[in-house]
Amino acid sequence: MAQTAADSVVDLVDVRKTYELGGVVEALAGVSLTLAEGSYTAVMGPSGSGKSTLLNLIGGLDTPTEGTVTVGGRDLSTATEDERAAVRGSEVGFVFQTFNLMPRLTAVENVALPLVFDGWEREERRDRARELLGDVGLGDRIDHRPTELSGGQRQRVAIARALAPDPQLILADEPTGNVDTETGEQIMTLLGELHEAGNTILLVTHERRIAEHAERIVHVRDGTVERIEEVA
Amino acid sequence: MDPRESLTIAARSIRSHRLRSALTVIGVVIGIASVVTFATFGASVETEIVGGVAESGANNVYVLSQPADEGGFQQGLQPVFTERDVNQLGQIEGVEAVVPRGAVQVNSVGHRGDTVAIQQATATVPAAFTNDTLVDGRSFRAGANETVLNQAAARTVFAENVSVGDTIAVARNDEMLNLTVVGITDGTAGELPVGQFGQQASIYVPADPYYDTVVESPNRGVRQRAYPQLTVIAEPAETLAVTDSVDAYLQSESDARQLAPAGVELVARTSGDFAEQISDVISQITRFVTGIAVIALVVGAIGIANIMLVSVTERTREIGIMKAVGARNRDVMELFLVEATLLGTGGALVGLPLGLAVAWGAAQYAEVGFALAPFWSALAVLVGVLVGVVAGLYPAWRAARVDPIDALRYE
Repeated sequence: MAQTAADSVVDLVDVRKTYELGGVVEALAGVSLTLAEGSYTAVMGPSGSGKSTLLNLIGGLDTPTEGTVTVGGRDLSTATEDERAAVRGSEVGFVFQTFNLMPRLTAVENVALPLVFDGWEREERRDRARELLGDVGLGDRIDHRPTELSGGQRQRVAIARALAPDPQLILADEPTGNVDTETGEQIMTLLGELHEAGNTILLVTHERRIAEHAERIVHVRDGTVERIEEVA
Repeated sequence: MDPRESLTIAARSIRSHRLRSALTVIGVVIGIASVVTFATFGASVETEIVGGVAESGANNVYVLSQPADEGGFQQGLQPVFTERDVNQLGQIEGVEAVVPRGAVQVNSVGHRGDTVAIQQATATVPAAFTNDTLVDGRSFRAGANETVLNQAAARTVFAENVSVGDTIAVARNDEMLNLTVVGITDGTAGELPVGQFGQQASIYVPADPYYDTVVESPNRGVRQRAYPQLTVIAEPAETLAVTDSVDAYLQSESDARQLAPAGVELVARTSGDFAEQISDVISQITRFVTGIAVIALVVGAIGIANIMLVSVTERTREIGIMKAVGARNRDVMELFLVEATLLGTGGALVGLPLGLAVAWGAAQYAEVGFALAPFWSALAVLVGVLVGVVAGLYPAWRAARVDPIDALRYE
């Protein structure tokens, strides 16, 4: 079934990515993928399958060797570095396995950080960050540093940060990889709620149990899409 | 990005490494304090000395001989100015007095049984002492067995203080002169301005009869006393005209012109000329020493650059995070530049008052008045800020170029 450009958030057309690492390594060998607005997609595959490269390309951290990557209507394969920075800041929200919070900033400052680079006013940034921390259940922890928070709390701060610029897409890279199973379930529940609220989510994982929270699972192997599985 | 936010983030990063930041700032503080100290102390000394020279006898025209090819005003003082020259100069319009000065060799001077070895007395004329300079008594008379002592000689040389009316015994060659002290003075009229800084003990005797350096006056054909230095005291309003007249006389019909050996020129100088010369010498020394202090500032700059590079490496992951949430290269650069500039500015803000304080202390110790060097102080602060910017440029550029993918993987 063909998606029209109007309601797709991400469009990958025959994307290839090669690295020169003492010989040419082909991380992605022609991947085409579309993420519809409001969809919840999981990318699964063993390590070295190319799923991290796929995430980096969609997130605007990297550019393809060939093919086009369109995010929110912008072609990232021809975008300048500053334009990609703007996409990372306002179109995409990252959630990392290792949380990647700024250690010296408080929770509310971490959540507000993308808005700093997006040119928001100080008061608006703080209000927005407070509101989002309340939404993820950390309203009483806004002035805590990451070291004063548990793993699950840190990941919820990271999710609030990803939501701050009201992005078109949330990219979650093994979001449960560094927390215990119970906390992982809470994180997945939170992501599910975000999906229900209309957010488009791309989840990268190697655990089937986690991937099954999505609507469909894209299996990646050796730099190509092996198959796309719809979750019942 | 929001400048307030970059300040906040940079300040927090500095605070999180208090000791390291403080040590880095100390480098800049030392550099800036040294520059400010030397520049300010130099300015203080210059102001003191030049001020002293300029205010002492602005209406004095110093007549002396000096080597034509070297600038030093103390070399080459030759006894070329004859009594005829003294008289002729005294005739010039606008001249109040001409005070010759010469040395009389003596062996020792005694006062109330206390005999002190003294090498020389100064021979001059009664006009050298005026009511302005005399502390007690009067000037000596020409041809009389009288003497005037300066305060240093009256108070510090002999076991007992010398006062007006006392007699001192001056041993010269084989004769013993008993001179009555008629006056105590604080300096003399027409004294060379450079002579005032060493408050040496001086004993003044009348040139007539005690000054015995004589030459044959080429114009008169008779042997006359000849002096190495004269001071023409002009009426204050006429100083410039008198200087020109004196110079014209020296270069034309003076005995001195014929007596002066080849390579020695005769000059008429005002105290302003001396002030300028001294000022030049002091400011050269000040610039040289301040230049050396700039080295300390360079070392401070290297300290900042070094610590910023360490900081970039340590915070690679943070740079990756910022880039992942939308920071552009110039935002990252700005953050690190602001941090380096804060370090430099901090150094300048601490270094400036410290330098001024040290210079003030040095001025007190050297007993000179404190004078600010506003140009150098402002420059030092500006340089401190610039040092931060320049030292931060390369580290900031390195930070901006960090690849976010590698940085996020960085442990």
